[in-house]
Amino acid sequence: MRKTWAWVLGVTTAVVLGASPVNAATASAKAAPAATSATTGSFPVSVRSGDGTVQIPSRPDRILSLSASATQMLYAMGAGTQVVGVDKYSTYPANAPRTKFTGYESSAEDYLYLHPDLVIFAFETGTLIQQLKTLHIPALLLPPATNMAGVDGQLAELGAATGHQTGARQVETSLANFLAAATRTAGNAGRGKTYYIEVDPTYYTATSQTFIGAEFSLFGMRDIADAAGHGSAYPQISAEYILKENPDYVFLADTVCCHQTAATFGHRPGFSVLSAVKLHHVIGVNDSVASEWGPHTIETFVSLIANVLRS
Amino acid sequence: MTALAAGPREEGPNLFDVEVEEAAAPPLYPTRLRPLHIALGVGFLLAAAIASILVGPADLAPGAVLAEIASKLPLVHIHSGLSETGAIVVWQLRMPRMVLGGLVGAMLAVAGASYQGVFSNPLADPYLLGIAAGAGLGATVVIVEGPLLGQLPADALPVAAFVGAVIAVAATYALGRARSAGRPAASMLLAGVAVGAFFTAVQTFLLQQSSPGDLTVVYSWILGGLSTAGWGQVVTVLPYIGVAVAVLVGARRLLDILAVGDEEATSLGVRAERVRLVVIIAATLGTAAAVSVSGLIGFVGIIVPHTIRLLAGPSYRRILPLSVLFGAGFLIFADLVARTVVSPGEVPLGVVTAFLGAPFFLVVLRQSRRLS
Repeated sequence: MRKTWAWVLGVTTAVVLGASPVNAATASAKAAPAATSATTGSFPVSVRSGDGTVQIPSRPDRILSLSASATQMLYAMGAGTQVVGVDKYSTYPANAPRTKFTGYESSAEDYLYLHPDLVIFAFETGTLIQQLKTLHIPALLLPPATNMAGVDGQLAELGAATGHQTGARQVETSLANFLAAATRTAGNAGRGKTYYIEVDPTYYTATSQTFIGAEFSLFGMRDIADAAGHGSAYPQISAEYILKENPDYVFLADTVCCHQTAATFGHRPGFSVLSAVKLHHVIGVNDSVASEWGPHTIETFVSLIANVLRS
Repeated sequence: MTALAAGPREEGPNLFDVEVEEAAAPPLYPTRLRPLHIALGVGFLLAAAIASILVGPADLAPGAVLAEIASKLPLVHIHSGLSETGAIVVWQLRMPRMVLGGLVGAMLAVAGASYQGVFSNPLADPYLLGIAAGAGLGATVVIVEGPLLGQLPADALPVAAFVGAVIAVAATYALGRARSAGRPAASMLLAGVAVGAFFTAVQTFLLQQSSPGDLTVVYSWILGGLSTAGWGQVVTVLPYIGVAVAVLVGARRLLDILAVGDEEATSLGVRAERVRLVVIIAATLGTAAAVSVSGLIGFVGIIVPHTIRLLAGPSYRRILPLSVLFGAGFLIFADLVARTVVSPGEVPLGVVTAFLGAPFFLVVLRQSRRLS
């Protein structure tokens, strides 16, 4: 599994960058998903959820994960064998038992055929969580993290909820080591550099107050959208403002939804004079990097940033 | 249903309070366009256009911007002092955005006025016959099902929105005509409601199956905006909007005649059904083209014609030409607000048109009643 993961990461970054894959020192620091790990912890256990405290009476053996990020965390800490279903957006790992669920179903009854004993959500949707409580099925809400500390906190809660506290701590340590290695590899190349991350082609973007913004902050980079936030973490800015700020790097997280590429970006009115376009610093990434905070997504994207800064 | 049965009642000075028996009387109101009206319209449009060119997050000096524009005039040889980027901001970002806003605003206002005329319904707007639902479904299909449809070009969305809008209105027309039973306008409106509901249901189903990221993209398109405006879009929609506006403004006298009712119009030698068809086709093609590049910008087609109606009278010989000027000026001004009120961020244009338009329209309505 480690080899497969490292290969996927290397190919992804090489294809996107047209550059050399992640170096050995960086790759070795990464946490690969573990198939199993020793079960730790005791039950019943209380864990913190986005909507309060959740009591989990016994070790869950039939977990339904309706969060792509939680799915990555579960497999990384070794709880994969306890997972009986994941939502349609959980694309990693590839062998996760994908369902057609979106996490926005109208009734919790839809989930019952899987006989789940723990359901994990990323978003509060309608009355699903309340319905599951009525059915005496624990539901854990792990809302989008906005920084690395938030990821660590969710790993700890998931570890306690699934009986994999040791595995969760290992993932946390491995992730911290990986991030340290990646930032060390990039050195000061990113310090003070500006970036624009595009969430859709009408110039919706993400500020440094979001999780993806926090990943850039690791390298000391500055988000041009911060001045436009006005309380919103995902503001819409104008093409004129992008021209004025002339960011050093542009990351397109609308390559899947909206078929954007470095070429289409460079052909937009006036954008041919942008430094990022001239220097080929416009990088297309999978849309999911703007909405996921699982260890696999983090490591893939952070190593991409490190490689871009080094190249 | 009150609105559907209104007939020509909206054609009096008291827009929504005309007695039924008054409706039978031929309209007695001035129809000639007054120079003052034209001057006001041109002045408003010019003021909005100049402000739109001068203001923006790039903080260009207004004098330099004006000099840059003047430097392109024949026989004028001055240097604006703007950098290369500054000149690009003026000519490739602000200018096409202003022109596109003017085109879309004029189209929506004229289409709204025309629909109100052919359907004798003061609540008619450019999206009445299913354009919004059709365009929304077209855009949603490209965004949500794009990966399944293979490698689509980056500009597939406006094409899909245009096609969806045209299909929806064609379906509305076919259904409304088949079930007209002597009340073609009312049947058409009901068919529009049904087609709109059906297309919206399909769109909602697709969105329910989509990812949160897709939802965001569709939602931002629905809110409307001109953030991606360029000369390419201007050139693409100009023929549609130009021809549509010309046809609709050309039909202004016929719309005045239709206001007295189909039977009376027929007795005056006007083929009401044919006029209605031509107006619907022109308004649909023009609006679909506008929507394809701007998304769904609401309220313009309602408030601009009604404000003109309240200020200049109910004749379409006044309303339609003035809608071109005031519609264009209104949307350019609204877009200026959209991109400056939280600068360097932007506010969806559809939010601004409703936020500015609704209170303004209420003030005009109140003043009009007080004067009358």
